Amino acid sequence: MGDITHVPTFVVELFGITLTVNYLTVFNTWAIMATLIVLAFIVRGRIKETPGPVQRVAELYISAMDNLTRETLETTSRAYFPLVATMFAFLLLCNWWGIIPGFEEPTKDLNTPLSLGLMGFFLTHTASIRAKGIGLYLKEYTHPFFIMAPLNVVGELAKVVSISFRLFGNIMGGAIIITVVSWMVYSVALPPFLYAFFGMFVGTVQAFVFTMLTITYIAVATK
Amino acid sequence: MDGITGVELIRAAALLGAGMSMGFGAIGPGIGEGFAAGKACEAIGRNPDQAGLLTRTMLVGQAVSESTGIYALVISLLLIFVVKG
Repeated sequence: MGDITHVPTFVVELFGITLTVNYLTVFNTWAIMATLIVLAFIVRGRIKETPGPVQRVAELYISAMDNLTRETLETTSRAYFPLVATMFAFLLLCNWWGIIPGFEEPTKDLNTPLSLGLMGFFLTHTASIRAKGIGLYLKEYTHPFFIMAPLNVVGELAKVVSISFRLFGNIMGGAIIITVVSWMVYSVALPPFLYAFFGMFVGTVQAFVFTMLTITYIAVATK
Repeated sequence: MDGITGVELIRAAALLGAGMSMGFGAIGPGIGEGFAAGKACEAIGRNPDQAGLLTRTMLVGQAVSESTGIYALVISLLLIFVVKG
């Protein structure tokens, strides 16, 4: 029970700046990235004319992601498809990672969702400037009247906060509920079902929502 | 018995605030998600072929409307674990 608030930190002094690093998040993120790369190489080595089970699952995933981007982004879908497919796979594995004993979800640390949200923010605005030109892009901030400009800026920044806190809150809340209930029942019988709900179900839904919202923001900004 | 100190009062207020934040914060998402599920049921009843699409859209909408409840949860967690008094 006492380990809920404990954050493992590693402090580095670099050119006079003090950096505080949560080494568990860094380790788990790299482990997930390595897993994804290894999976990609396994699938790549088995590509054949008549697909085996591994290739079939990979093709199912790729075509589902392709359909999703095509429905939302229409013409520019090819440019964003790699991002969307990778982001969903990464977040899915991140949210499921806590099910493996001894590992923690990187999304339980606010830094992971926040950095992904900021990536989406910069991507959205770059795509918007590229699609409309800087003049039309700036003009959108004064949309109904000129006075509304500060409100529109805050609205854009609030998107980053809402998208990252949604993922963080869901995973962190689930992890805390799992810890507290496991402590109450002495880890008997109940925890696997909690992991199935908070890890698998909520994790899948939240990974999907995060990916979906990122592409929706891009689609709205480029329209 | 030497009375309640200021630290204990801050702790008590933080715990009370955490409970109230979660309690009031859960009202909105509860109503909203129930409304979304009800409407999705109506839509599936009218048009059962589209059940898969409707369920997916409903889940995404619910997860988005849940975010206000999640903000309340984050505030509660901050009050419980960060405010030591």
